[in-house]
Amino acid sequence: MRWQREATGTRVRLRRLAATAILLITGCNRHQSALAPFGAEADDTLSLTIVLASGAAVIALGVVLLVWNASRAREHALSESGGLRLVLWAGAIFPTVVLTVLLLFALPAMRPLPESDADLRIQVEGEQFWWRVRYAPPGAAPLMAANEVRVPVGRTVVFELTATDVIHSFWIPGLAGKMDMIPGRTNQLVVRATKPGTFRGVCTEFCGLSHALMAFDVIAMEPAAFDAWLAEARRTERASSGRGAQAFDRRGCGACHAIAGTPHHAVIGPDLTHYSERLTLGAGILEPTVANTAAFIRDPSAFKPGARMPAYAAMPQAEAEAIARYLKGAP
Amino acid sequence: MSLHEQDDPELRRAQEERLRAVWDSPKGLFLKWTDTNNDAVGAWYTLTAFGFMLFAGVLGLLMRAQLAVPDNDLVEPGTFNQLFTLHGSMMMFLFAVPMFEAVSIVLLPQLLGARDLPFPRLSAFGYWSFLLGGVFVSGSIFFDVAPDGGWFMYPPLTTRTDLSGLGADIWMLGLSFIEVSSVAAAVELIVGVLKCRPPGMRLNLMPLYAWYILVVAVMILFAFPPLIAGDVLFEMERLLDWPFFDAARGGDPLLWQHLFWIFGHPEVYIVFLPSIALFAMLVPTFSQRHLLGYPWIVLAAVGTAFLSFGLWVHHMFTTGLPKISLAFFSAASEAVAIPTAVQIFVFIATMWAGRVIWSTPMLYAAGSLAIFVIGGLTGVMVAVAPFDWQAHDTYFIVAHLHYVMIGGTLMPLFAGLYYYWPLITGKKLSDRLGRIAFWLLFVGANVTFFPMHLSGLEGMPRRVFTYPAELGIDGLNLASSIGAYIFAAGAALICIDLALSPRRALAERNPWNAGTLEWLAHPQDEHWGIRSIPLVESRYPIWDQQDFMRKVDEGRYFLPDAEEGRRETIVTTVLDARPIAVIRLGTPSWKPMMTAFALGGVFILTTYHLYWLALLSGIATLAMVLWWLWTGTAEIPEKESKPIGHGMEMPLYLSGSSAPGWWAMFITMMADATAFSGLVFGYYFFWTKHEDFPPPELASAPGVFWPMVALAVGLAAWLLTVAARECNAKGRIGTARGLLVAGIAASMISGLAGIAGPWTTGMEPTLHSYPAIVWTLAIWTSVHAAIAVIMLGYALARSLAGKMTPRYDADLRNVTVYMHFLALTTVVTYATIGLFPELA
Amino acid sequence: MKDERPRTKERVKVTLWTLIVPPTTWAAHFLFSYLWAAISCAKVGKFATFPTLFVVGTVIALIVIAASGWIAWRQSRVPGDAPPHQDSTDVDRLRFLAVSTMLLAGLSFVAVIYTALPVVFIGNCR
Repeated sequence: MRWQREATGTRVRLRRLAATAILLITGCNRHQSALAPFGAEADDTLSLTIVLASGAAVIALGVVLLVWNASRAREHALSESGGLRLVLWAGAIFPTVVLTVLLLFALPAMRPLPESDADLRIQVEGEQFWWRVRYAPPGAAPLMAANEVRVPVGRTVVFELTATDVIHSFWIPGLAGKMDMIPGRTNQLVVRATKPGTFRGVCTEFCGLSHALMAFDVIAMEPAAFDAWLAEARRTERASSGRGAQAFDRRGCGACHAIAGTPHHAVIGPDLTHYSERLTLGAGILEPTVANTAAFIRDPSAFKPGARMPAYAAMPQAEAEAIARYLKGAP
Repeated sequence: MSLHEQDDPELRRAQEERLRAVWDSPKGLFLKWTDTNNDAVGAWYTLTAFGFMLFAGVLGLLMRAQLAVPDNDLVEPGTFNQLFTLHGSMMMFLFAVPMFEAVSIVLLPQLLGARDLPFPRLSAFGYWSFLLGGVFVSGSIFFDVAPDGGWFMYPPLTTRTDLSGLGADIWMLGLSFIEVSSVAAAVELIVGVLKCRPPGMRLNLMPLYAWYILVVAVMILFAFPPLIAGDVLFEMERLLDWPFFDAARGGDPLLWQHLFWIFGHPEVYIVFLPSIALFAMLVPTFSQRHLLGYPWIVLAAVGTAFLSFGLWVHHMFTTGLPKISLAFFSAASEAVAIPTAVQIFVFIATMWAGRVIWSTPMLYAAGSLAIFVIGGLTGVMVAVAPFDWQAHDTYFIVAHLHYVMIGGTLMPLFAGLYYYWPLITGKKLSDRLGRIAFWLLFVGANVTFFPMHLSGLEGMPRRVFTYPAELGIDGLNLASSIGAYIFAAGAALICIDLALSPRRALAERNPWNAGTLEWLAHPQDEHWGIRSIPLVESRYPIWDQQDFMRKVDEGRYFLPDAEEGRRETIVTTVLDARPIAVIRLGTPSWKPMMTAFALGGVFILTTYHLYWLALLSGIATLAMVLWWLWTGTAEIPEKESKPIGHGMEMPLYLSGSSAPGWWAMFITMMADATAFSGLVFGYYFFWTKHEDFPPPELASAPGVFWPMVALAVGLAAWLLTVAARECNAKGRIGTARGLLVAGIAASMISGLAGIAGPWTTGMEPTLHSYPAIVWTLAIWTSVHAAIAVIMLGYALARSLAGKMTPRYDADLRNVTVYMHFLALTTVVTYATIGLFPELA
Repeated sequence: MKDERPRTKERVKVTLWTLIVPPTTWAAHFLFSYLWAAISCAKVGKFATFPTLFVVGTVIALIVIAASGWIAWRQSRVPGDAPPHQDSTDVDRLRFLAVSTMLLAGLSFVAVIYTALPVVFIGNCR
């Protein structure tokens, strides 16, 4: 029973009001917040949050008032037996009833969304400190990507999550709760986006030096647009000639990175085929301008302490910029 | 001795002289640190834990400075990781748990009208271990090698030696050392509560603090050992490359998480319940009436203790376990709110029925209750799994846990500080400074932590050294940082108040007009603890029993003298506190300190891979322990019994299940068995994780033969020991000695046969988790067999030296308890490693 | 001293050990439920749709708790003074332990039911 979804119109409006109020008070982050949902799971959880928080507030207030009252009562205002009745009813029976009701709602809410073999699967692997993404649509060829996740609105998507080096955790606050990525295990997270937009996800399990700098972009697209993008992305091939491509080749970037259409198929670092489409650089930390990209190539650790990519400090600025321009889509 | 004899002031003065001489603390620059009296050791312990709290608090302030503005670069990421790891680890391991033990060492004997706890030297050993381990762990930050993997130390980040350095070893070995001292203190406190109550203080009259301490110490006994088992596996992986947590070789990182949180969740209640215990002492005092609903508190304490062991997976809600498993823990996490609510309403009812005096301690108590209630309610929220999937590992949890810890541990301790300061020093703290400090703390805590609920839900993960401005949470973070410094100002004010205390005048005795035994303490400190051990007939004897204080002071109750010049206290029965014996207590000695340093050497030298020196240190530890036991325990008294007053004659020697030593052994072995069950859990955990476990290509080892030999001979050693005990008791000393020799041989053979299994079948522990866990179980059991050899040898030597006789046989009885548990360990280990592969 | 009263009667009565029978029963039931579900899911991939074993285990646990609660309730009514049972007498100590046991039985009963609820609502291993 997904009880929250059957909420009446008034309850939905009240909830929106509460969420908006919180956002107004605290800023206007709408792209990485559990308070600004764009998915079915996060939506349900927000309703649950508001119910729980209101209940908690009422109870906390009640207890404080009782303490206040008790401290001001004259001596013997409460008899021994009256006191025992207070403990029994307010301390034992009342919480038991409240918690039972809560449990009756909470347990069914734990059930994951239904899924089937026909659903799109997206395999995400956490690595220090980036995300390897593989789209596996049913009955079609997979697509490799990195540090960006696109999901179709209104369709069920199954994330299959794992890690190779250490434990990471995959969290898109606006879409659903988080799920850990644990070496040796594959966890499932079933989600459904409800509205299009650009959002952000982060790593929530401490994973080392740059744990704070491990994020990714999330793009929820209309289903038709998503299908078109996926088909197009699978066909993308990049030129392997040109100044930037040659520098990429010469500097041995291909030892770690893959670019479709070129001889580079390595799987150690992020796949760079679709780098030109990305909204950020370095797993959600920088704007992917040519200058930033070149600077990152020459000294990744300056932006991302502990990054595995070696520094190319000796590389002339012009060459780094040529590679950056190539990655950004220049021929 | 009759009642009227005590009318003679000359006699009383002579008694006091003798008591004073016996309980006098050692003097001198070095010698004064050999003190074992609870008022000295407890005070050092408390001060040290308080110091670590301030240190860890400063680390927290540094973190808040870094997070005050987005994209800040005040603190390096690596340093930041050390800061939060050390902040959490220190607050938990070096402040919260030791602080409760320290306070209990100070208070418990006073509350129980005992002269001291039953094993004062054990307290001293615990303190020196704590100090050494604590300085070792916290000092590491000055050398930039502090642990940096989070206080939860999740592998593989922390077990892979290429991803984590010395800090991980410092955490694991330094804190294991402290865990040992925590378990030692737990043993001391349990035996103290059960066996050292004053005559007449039946279970229904015990001060609630003692009830809580009993419950909490038992929790430590079952909560810490799984972590010790985890530490063993963890260090085996780090130092020897045995792949318990390496998924590529059949290990599983989740095993650590289970072992850690089986410890980690009860831990929360271990640090929370003692603070509630302080409430249970001061609320009746400031309501000027008995606590209303005493059995409800007992229900709540015991109920919480049990339920808290069914919550651990709620720290693992996002690890992808089946939802059904999560649901059990979600349900239990809801249930634990019930006993917590009961406690809060017991206090409300007591206040309501009484006349509340708004003293400074009461102000702290009420304020912390308000903060705690908020933390408790957010706890109910995160127990709801779908909500936790959002909130987990975000600042929402940071907010929740700090509300719980500040409201449930820190502020109640400040309440206790203001309440009990006159008891310890004879002087009151300043009401004015105390109240200003309270408001700074109260406002500071809320300004710091309330915004974190929102920053968490707005997407701020935990353990980040910075956050981007675009998240729009900079205002919330700035508020948190400002609040943290307000809070720190409050803490600083309390320190100032404490520092001014020596200049203040002595307060009157029992300044709050409390009703419980500890307030018998005199402002002019006497080291003897209590002048005479009273007959207790009420929960609040000072209020209810006529002329109680005067009678105690005039030595009109029990044991008003120290004729033989020995430190003594009365041992009573568990349920009804009937006096059964007088025991002699340990005197100041440097052995506990030296033993602690030797044991510390084992852990610290291992950290730096100095294995030979560590081994030497281990041998030194063993020698110290044996010497300590030989010279200080199970001493045959110079006479059978002595009078304790009122015509009662009490024996001076106890053995078997009425003796404190027997209980200490039994309790220690419960902890040992719990650690062992953590390892066995590991074996079966791997079985559930793998399709085929043992893996078919490895399953032929260790075979059935050697494990069965070890099992059979191990059981023989057990039977031989039991037979030796019986023969010795019947006076057949020669036979008993022969049986002990046979028992030594059998234990030795059992231990060697246990190793022979994996050894002869060539099991390679670095290959896969299966041989690694088999080796671990075999080594664990064989080491225990080796300890049995030493213990049986010890009993034999005591018999030969005439220190153990058929009448005075405590040594052999205690060794037999050890052998019972060893027999259990032997059966489980060898049945598991020998027979389970045949079944699976 | 009031120490010399006959002790034989109370040997069969509530003690510190019987106090922990109800919560221990909860703990056993909890461990049983968790292991049953975890092992079924890990080894079989599902658990029985009508879990006979589970129902039997739960009923047994509830009976044990109810029985110890009932015994404790009987003993808490042993003649003696009214609450709060705070005299140093055998009967007060007995009645105190009985009342505490009864309260613990109540809590344990609720907790066992809480533990059983998930199986009603969540029927698979996802």
